[in-house]
Amino acid sequence: MTSAVSPSAASSSSRLQAQGQNPISLRLYKVLGANFDDDATREALDTLAELYAPRPAEGRAKDGKQETEADVDGEDDRDVNGARPTGLVASAGAGGVAGDMAARARKNLRRDVESKLAESSKQFLKAFGEVDKQLDTLQEHIGLMRVRCDEAQSQLHETNEACKSLLDRAGSLREERQGIAVRQSIISAFLSRFTLSSSEKEAISSRDVPLGPTFFAAMDKAARIQADCRVLLTASLTLPAPSLGGGEDEDGEDRATKAGRDILAATAAQLEQTYDKIFRWCCFEFRQMGKDASLDVSPTMREAVKRLRERPELLMEALTYLSQTRQATLLSSFMDALTRGGPGGLPRPIELHAHDPLRYVGDMLAWVHQAIAAEHEFLESLFGIRNARRMVGAERTFGASEEESWIAELLDGAVRGLCGPLRVRVQQTVRSQESSITSYKIANLVQFYMVTMQRTIGREALLSKTLEELTELAYSVFYGAIEAQGRSLLHVQLDPDDTGVSPPLAIMDHAQVLREMMVVYESSLLGNEQEEELQAGFRDILDKMVDPALEMTLTQAEEKKKQRPVWDKAVFVLNTLAYLQSVLEPYAFTTEKRGVIQGLVDAKVLQLIEEHYQDLLEDAGVAEVAAACEARAQNVSGLVNGSISEGCGRGREDGTETRSIQGPLSHVPAGEPAALQAALRRFSEWLSGAEVVQSRRLGLLTVQSVATRVHQAALERVAETYERICEEVKKPENKYEAAATLLGSERPFGQVRLLWQIFGLEGRGR
Amino acid sequence: MAVSDYDADATELLETYDFLMKYIIIGEAGTGKTCLLHQFTHNSFKEHSQHTIGVEFSSRTVKLGEKRIKLQLWDTAGQERFRSVTRSYYRGAAGAILVYDITSRASFSNLSRWLEDARALASPHLVTVLVGNKSDREEDREVEWAEASRWAAEHDCHFLEASSLTGENVEAPFLLCARSILLAIESGTLDPEKAGSGVSYGDRALRRVNSSSRLSFGSLSGGRRKSSVKLRLPGTGLRCC
Repeated sequence: MTSAVSPSAASSSSRLQAQGQNPISLRLYKVLGANFDDDATREALDTLAELYAPRPAEGRAKDGKQETEADVDGEDDRDVNGARPTGLVASAGAGGVAGDMAARARKNLRRDVESKLAESSKQFLKAFGEVDKQLDTLQEHIGLMRVRCDEAQSQLHETNEACKSLLDRAGSLREERQGIAVRQSIISAFLSRFTLSSSEKEAISSRDVPLGPTFFAAMDKAARIQADCRVLLTASLTLPAPSLGGGEDEDGEDRATKAGRDILAATAAQLEQTYDKIFRWCCFEFRQMGKDASLDVSPTMREAVKRLRERPELLMEALTYLSQTRQATLLSSFMDALTRGGPGGLPRPIELHAHDPLRYVGDMLAWVHQAIAAEHEFLESLFGIRNARRMVGAERTFGASEEESWIAELLDGAVRGLCGPLRVRVQQTVRSQESSITSYKIANLVQFYMVTMQRTIGREALLSKTLEELTELAYSVFYGAIEAQGRSLLHVQLDPDDTGVSPPLAIMDHAQVLREMMVVYESSLLGNEQEEELQAGFRDILDKMVDPALEMTLTQAEEKKKQRPVWDKAVFVLNTLAYLQSVLEPYAFTTEKRGVIQGLVDAKVLQLIEEHYQDLLEDAGVAEVAAACEARAQNVSGLVNGSISEGCGRGREDGTETRSIQGPLSHVPAGEPAALQAALRRFSEWLSGAEVVQSRRLGLLTVQSVATRVHQAALERVAETYERICEEVKKPENKYEAAATLLGSERPFGQVRLLWQIFGLEGRGR
Repeated sequence: MAVSDYDADATELLETYDFLMKYIIIGEAGTGKTCLLHQFTHNSFKEHSQHTIGVEFSSRTVKLGEKRIKLQLWDTAGQERFRSVTRSYYRGAAGAILVYDITSRASFSNLSRWLEDARALASPHLVTVLVGNKSDREEDREVEWAEASRWAAEHDCHFLEASSLTGENVEAPFLLCARSILLAIESGTLDPEKAGSGVSYGDRALRRVNSSSRLSFGSLSGGRRKSSVKLRLPGTGLRCC
């Protein structure tokens, strides 16, 4: 309000400035100096102007209002203020009215303002009355709303109460669901571990799914399930099972074992199915592959057989099919090889060579051997075993393992069919042989294969037995042949007109056959036989071949001697024996027989020495004297021994008369000095002859060493005889006059040593 | 390439094969047939080998290109006394390994008799490989490489020298033989389907026959020329100077 007064104050102050520093003037100045040009003052004045300008009622009301506002400043300013608004109103409105108005305004301002105020207050009241009415309505609404809200809340509350159990249930259900999900995953894991998937089941049961990795995998799984199940079952029986709740313990355990048993049963059934399927497949394949020439084994087949070994009875049955088909196949290919040969006839059919028994039999047996080798490889591969490091040609051992025994059995079965045709053909060939050599060769060949087969397929196999039988047959045929040959040899008679002493032709032919047999035998040796084995292998043949030859030689020589006494039997026999020996000589396995022959030879040689000695005595002319001396010596010794001496040879015959006489030797006819003289002369002459060096008779002996031996032995005895004669002559009781002269008249002058020299025997004897 | 092929692990047994071939190993006694075979099947030298009695059998599967070939090997006795037995085994052989001893002229001079025998008795398409064994004993050599090579050419045989002691070139004759037989099959002169040819299909080949109408030998023909040239190299390498 100070500002509203200040314009008039400022105008009065400017006027009073000259009067100096009077406080009133200062106050006046200050009032006059006040500026009313501010916005608030102007607005206030404008309001006043409005109040009074158009309508007095309005102006007064406005003035009144202005007045109340200005009252606050004080009484002093009221005059000034009152004067100015009038001036302003007068300048703004019409001249006469304006002055009136301003006066009235100055008088009535307060009242105007108050009435105006009252009027406004009335308006306010009225307005507020309205408002109050509205507020009442509003309150009513709010009250309603509140009721509703309360209702809602109580409903909510109720609902909440009701929901609580539901929520609880939901919670527990959720938990339950979680538990179930866990169990589900456990169960599905369990199922995937303990049951087969549908594709696996199909692989096992369906005929459309071929045997292969899928099948084997399914089978492996089934087997694993079974094994796991067993382990679990045994574990649950032996250990207390970890259970979920105490009360369910027993029940759960029961159920677990039941489930285990169910699974076991199901798996067992499935496994059986797999074995069944393998079995069927194997049977089919075996029947198929049996027909092929090729003997290749696919890995699937090998796997199938390996697995089927768990069911031996099924495997056995399947293998029976295999064995049957292989048997039929081998038989037909054997027949093809026999009768049809290879493609285009090459190689030629085996039977084309039936005229050549060895080749025929050999080809057949070689074919069989080769078939066996291929078969054996096939079987080894089928069972997945391989004696890779087996030394080539080494003997196989059977029965070492299950597979080996199966292989042996199957091999036996496969080649079983070949035995029939083979046997018939070999028998035919063996029986139709005329030459014993060929028979022997065949027998050897069959025996060779028998040994080979025994090593390859075992002794128990039918083929081995067949070959054994055939070997026996071949040998018996062969022995029959050589026995017949021996018998026919015995019937051969020596030609009585043949003066020769060499071995007869029949013996030489026979020996030739023997020689060939020995060659065959030697070639059949492996070089590792024991001495006894070596001899035994040929003993029978030697007996059957050599014995008849010996017998024939001795008996026929005897016969011939009877017919032809001049024939030199002893030399003939010795020659023949020596020939036989020479035939046997090159072969070590004949030593036994050679020993036997040597015994015969030795006996014959002794005989010949005796004969030859007597011949020499005869030739030398001292036989009679010698006999006389011999007789005396025997008598003497007979008397000395107190027994009757029997003597031997011619000495005994000649000595029979003299024995009783027992006079001096010079009184015996042969010992008379004249006769003795003559005998000694002849002896001397004989000594100069060629016979001393070499005997003509012994020259016919084929073996010169024997001749020399016989001759020398005979000469020794001649020398001994001469010595005895000399001794007898020198004895006084024999009453020779001039015994020394008698003996010294002829060579060797009674000197025995000289005689030894002449005979060329100095080194020996005395 | 070719040589290293032969060194490759061909000793895979118990395997399926494409072809089955029957071989005979022939030659004079003491030329080392059994040792050669032993080296081939066992990869080792057979010490103190005795004379073979009759015949002995062994087998091995080899790989040639993509083909697996099972060889049935019949090792025969060289001694004269077994001739009648061993000759029966010539029947239907597809290949013959004719062995002589380079240190023994006698074993070389009888070769024609062996070859004639084999050709007369075995399959008409018999493939023969002449092998001069004991090539490690160069100092005792009595048969020159060139001479044997000439002989082989004249008699339509393949030829190489090998040592069953060191194992050098031991696999080559068997593989060379197999290769020739395969080529004969390819060219149609040999039919494995017929019995007595000495060759038959194995499971693998049969499967292939079923799947495709015709057997393919592409890989084999491709590698052939190269290989056969190289095959002779070890020999020529030794000789050339």
